[in-house]
Amino acid sequence: MTANFDAFFNEIQSKLGADAVNRSDETITRYAENTMPGGDRRPAGVVYPASTAEVQTIVRAANAHKVPLYPVSTGNNIGLGSRSASTAGQVIVDLGRKMNRILDINDRLAYCVVEPGVTYQTLTDELTRRGGQLMLDVTSGPPQGGPLGNALDKGAGYTPYFDHFGFSCGMEVVLGNGEVLRTGDGSIDSDKLVNWHTSKYSFGPILDGLFTQSNYGIVTRMGFWLMPRPPAVQSFHFTFPDDDDLEEVIELCRPLKMSNFVPTLFRVANDLYLSASEGQSQEYGSGKSLSDKGRRELREHFGLGAWNISGAFYGPNEAAMAPMIQRVRDHFMKSGKARYIDHEQAKSVPTLQVAINAFSGTPSHGELGLLKWRPGGGNLWFTPGTPMDGKIANEFQHLCRKIYEDYAFDYTVMNVCGARFARGLHVITFNREDPEESKRADACYRAMAKAFAERGVFVGRAPLDYHDMHFAQTIPAFQQACSSIKQALDPNGVIAPGRYGIQ
Amino acid sequence: MRTNFTAAQLTDPAIAEADQILQTCVHYGFCTNTCPTYVLTRDENDSPRGRIDLIRAMLEQGGRPAAKTVHHLDRCLSCLSCMTTCAVKVDYVHLIDRARVHIEQHYKRPLADRATRALLAYVLPRPRLFAAAMKAGRLAQPFASILPKRLRAMLTMIPARASSDILAPQVFPAEGPRKKRVALLAGCAQQALNDNINAATIRLLQRHGCEVVIADGAGCCGSLPLHMGRENEAKGFAQTNVAAWSRGSFDAIIVNASGCGTTVKDYGHLLGSDDAKRIGALTRDVTEILHDIGLKTPPNPRAYRVTYHDPCSMQHGQKVIDQPRALLRAASFQVADVPEKHFCCGSAGTYNLLQSEIAEALGQRKAAHIESTTPDIVATGNIGCMTQLNRYLGTPIVHTVELLDWATGGPLPPALEGVDLPEPSTLHAATAPDTPTADAGFW
Ligand SMILES: Cc1cc2nc3c(=O)[nH]c(=O)nc-3n(C[C@H](O)[C@H](O)[C@H](O)COP(=O)(O)OP(=O)(O)OC[C@H]3O[C@@H](n4cnc5c(N)ncnc54)[C@H](O)[C@@H]3O)c2cc1C
Ligand code: SF4
Repeated sequence: MTANFDAFFNEIQSKLGADAVNRSDETITRYAENTMPGGDRRPAGVVYPASTAEVQTIVRAANAHKVPLYPVSTGNNIGLGSRSASTAGQVIVDLGRKMNRILDINDRLAYCVVEPGVTYQTLTDELTRRGGQLMLDVTSGPPQGGPLGNALDKGAGYTPYFDHFGFSCGMEVVLGNGEVLRTGDGSIDSDKLVNWHTSKYSFGPILDGLFTQSNYGIVTRMGFWLMPRPPAVQSFHFTFPDDDDLEEVIELCRPLKMSNFVPTLFRVANDLYLSASEGQSQEYGSGKSLSDKGRRELREHFGLGAWNISGAFYGPNEAAMAPMIQRVRDHFMKSGKARYIDHEQAKSVPTLQVAINAFSGTPSHGELGLLKWRPGGGNLWFTPGTPMDGKIANEFQHLCRKIYEDYAFDYTVMNVCGARFARGLHVITFNREDPEESKRADACYRAMAKAFAERGVFVGRAPLDYHDMHFAQTIPAFQQACSSIKQALDPNGVIAPGRYGIQ
Repeated sequence: MRTNFTAAQLTDPAIAEADQILQTCVHYGFCTNTCPTYVLTRDENDSPRGRIDLIRAMLEQGGRPAAKTVHHLDRCLSCLSCMTTCAVKVDYVHLIDRARVHIEQHYKRPLADRATRALLAYVLPRPRLFAAAMKAGRLAQPFASILPKRLRAMLTMIPARASSDILAPQVFPAEGPRKKRVALLAGCAQQALNDNINAATIRLLQRHGCEVVIADGAGCCGSLPLHMGRENEAKGFAQTNVAAWSRGSFDAIIVNASGCGTTVKDYGHLLGSDDAKRIGALTRDVTEILHDIGLKTPPNPRAYRVTYHDPCSMQHGQKVIDQPRALLRAASFQVADVPEKHFCCGSAGTYNLLQSEIAEALGQRKAAHIESTTPDIVATGNIGCMTQLNRYLGTPIVHTVELLDWATGGPLPPALEGVDLPEPSTLHAATAPDTPTADAGFW
């Protein structure tokens, strides 16, 4: 049976009101836009539910009329798909417009419960209004992104609560079949759900993970744990002069994280990741990657190294943290190559201020500018990872740098380091208005994805253009399991068919 | 974004500049969720990139713009929130100004609209006339019900209390050794609405070692006509001011209405002359210069809870964000931020007179956010925001300088007269009174 869009939209309009549907050309054009090489994807229209019940109405109508839906929350997934759907012709369910209430903040137990449209900025503002005793882990991306959409895409931040899915607790989901599921301790058949957002591992299987990077349901409510805000945050920063210093940097960071001596993750960013936000490539059009000379000039101009490390301590005041900072300083300085930048100095360097904001749970715009390094608006995030083993991390650097150069792009990366693993956030910025360069960006992404898969390394998240390709890199049993779950929870395949490769 | 101007069109420097700006927009869409009109209407044509597209089409086509284009561009607040968020820093302000000029020159508005705009553009920049008009307006208020809708709306906006003292050119000497000699933009509408802002500014600057000059010939900054697309009138005002200030020698030109500050700082772009660039570079918001000088220790600390509202022209236009807060703290007040502070309050120059529906929705939204912080007093740095918010707030709103003046020895701000403020000695701790005990942390 084929999709009957008119019947679907008529039903939604009659049940939820004219205001719940938008099929204007401008709207379709804007929701089609993204930053990827594969081109825009025009949706069939946009619907705006105001409640879980309205989401159910939409999902049921989609089942009845065989219409594919694509949910977005705050729709700031820029570089990974923006607000566009897996394929053209799906109906965007824009949850952010009306479902944007903070449902609860529990100050004693330090958690919040939000609807999909609540943004990082809104939640941070509300915590500040309540006296600033609690803080939310944020990304260094758009402040208008939100914790729910971000956690469902397995996004992460930089404080001890960096793992956004890991620090979520309790969901409400409208499944593809229209049923409403409560996960975790919310699954008990009771109207007193005291532990829904405090405990994840009571009775039964942990279903929450099914709704990350998948298409089995639309999440309408989610709990997040909050961190008591420390009275003082003191950051520390080091620069290292040479590309191959990465090996030593990783070795230096590992024990500090393994022991949890340093509470934040380490941001280990290359020269371009930090300087690109402050300008545009002066060598664009050369047909080559940024020259060594160009990189050297940028480093000198911004006082950066080939690698730049940021971390932070939390404490009652600066003095209490001074001995800890001193120990970290001694630890890094023994390499003989590190240059130290203290918290006060870093505050005047915009790109290091971004790190301070991230460690302090403050959403900020500072990093967004790195997308404009080349003109034409093309951006892709490539997100493989490395074990916290300096040799392997450095090999991966060589591999990736070479592929960037083969395709004449500028190697731009930040390794976000924990105890055992670092996620490598690589940005490919390219001119999307130039078809040749777009094609080249696509080829570059695919080449890196292939090279890393051959070394047994997967990506953490993927731009929509590559969901199918990455899904094909998994073992058949994984694919079969994903399809079976899809069949069970969304038998008509109405939720985001093709998202993360699952049909 | 690709553009399609002809070579002939590009010979016009204004179009050439617009073309450059348009090309930088790559439609990322970071801006959409921070645009107040888009958030209210969810109409893509009320979003920054929607408007940029409309401007592109309008300028490429040339001539008379479509009514729909005018409708959506008129609804833009020029709040510049989109510029703060934009990853590629599209120079939206100069693009929308260009679009407004094009509309003014090529679009024939209905007669009533034209008359209203002409009236506003003539009266508001002339403080004596404006003060007289407000008096007449107050007399007409009882007959509002029989007046046309637009006029009725305007009458309701006339503040119940306005004190006008139009400053003549003069010099106010510094107290103690002179540290700086500054010119103060006495302004236009502000002088007619609230003369204490200038009086407090002058006392405060004098107290901090500044000689303050009201320069002969300086008047309206041109901002109001500029944002109505009346570029030539705006240039006339700007040129007059540049000439007036160029006759003297000043360490800074001080502005205490941030909407005007954004325009004066940008005189270099508006006029293109070296003198205008020099004046633009000399211009400071009053809080910038006071912050540089350092506030005197208040003799009687009054730790009221002051919620500070960032005018858009201050936070997005001039990026003066920390200084007013730091000064209020130095004056012993407890400073709270407004949730969703990046949003406009709906004042936006003449916007609340011309687009009253959106302005009211934004005004109410902002007032609710402000009240949620349970302030004793609200402070801000722009007369437009003060007038707009006064209509929706239950808490008194004053200019930042009025509080700083009071704290350092000046009189009580008139807006606080008769207000039942808590005894400073019994003032609350740093948390909002409705905050539950947040004892989650060990700190
Ligand atoms: C410069 C820069 C820096 C960045 N830094 C970081 C960073 O530090 N950490 C990080 O994690 N990301 C980062 N990002 C990536 C990204 O912008 C954010 O992750 C952003 O928060 C995701 O968008 P969103 O929150 O608006 O989610 P949305 O766009 O609303 O959602 C993301 C996806 O999840 C799915 N989804 C959303 N809501 C639902 C729902 N209710 N039910 C089912 N499925 C749903 C949809 O398929 C959607 O496409 C960065 C981006 C940039 C440009
Ligand atoms: S200036 Fe303000 S109202 Fe106008 S497009 Fe930008 S954000 Fe929206």
